[in-house]
Amino acid sequence: MGKTLPTVHLLVTLAWMLLAFWMIFLYAPQELTMGEVQRIFYIHAPLGWVAGTAYTIVFISSVTYLSKRSPLADDLAHASGEVGFIFCSSLLFTGPLWAKPVWGIWWTWDPRLTLTFVLWLLFVSYLMLRSYVASPGRAATLAAVVGIIGYVDVPIDYMAIRWWRTQHPQPVIAGGEGSGLDPRIFLTFMVCVGAFHCLFSYLLAQRFRLARARREVSALRRSLAPRSSED
Amino acid sequence: MLNKYLFVAFSALWLLFFIYAWSLSRRQARLQNELEELKSKQGVRSQESDVANQK
Repeated sequence: MGKTLPTVHLLVTLAWMLLAFWMIFLYAPQELTMGEVQRIFYIHAPLGWVAGTAYTIVFISSVTYLSKRSPLADDLAHASGEVGFIFCSSLLFTGPLWAKPVWGIWWTWDPRLTLTFVLWLLFVSYLMLRSYVASPGRAATLAAVVGIIGYVDVPIDYMAIRWWRTQHPQPVIAGGEGSGLDPRIFLTFMVCVGAFHCLFSYLLAQRFRLARARREVSALRRSLAPRSSED
Repeated sequence: MLNKYLFVAFSALWLLFFIYAWSLSRRQARLQNELEELKSKQGVRSQESDVANQK
């Protein structure tokens, strides 16, 4: 039972990813103005959604940790912070690869890009705090504070392309009048969002198990430590 | 022919995820070994204290 669920989760993730790949390259039509390179959209935008989900989990778990002092919530926040960092880094990597052929530049400091970079810095500071503060309890509390305060960036980042005119494309989903996608592009995009969330949940579950095992090892070490000094 | 930006984006992304998943499984295996070692140490300790109590 212990290994069945992760194996099923992994198989579902792989199958979903294969379906997403098939749809990206064989089902979705080629976009007329950008051509082939537009297909980066199917990985870039879902990575952004997952990064937002990851930081939301950090936020909720941090609030739970500070209010209940639950080690489970702390482990979940830490796990989501690390996996979210991987997704946010991938988001920042794929963005310029799409921007260069379309805009002619790798990067510009427009509100959406800047706020996403701030989100990445928040993930980095969250993880650095956890690594560099020696006392685990103090590290967890400080990281939770960063996790809560930093969350203000997520809704502003989401709304940036709605509030301001940016170099970044305007929203194509929930973007109001004039926005929208070809049904096949929309379906492919939603399958990709699901696939990346499935991959995220798999990696999160693995990272969470690691955090639980680490806590168990620390507890065992502490229980053996007084006797070790007598040897 | 596949666009070079598209190729780099997809291949680098999967390489990164693969490396991360591999590092997670390595860390997990290392911790599992450590956990088993500590548990066996704990077992030896409790046996030793049982013997000492009997004496």
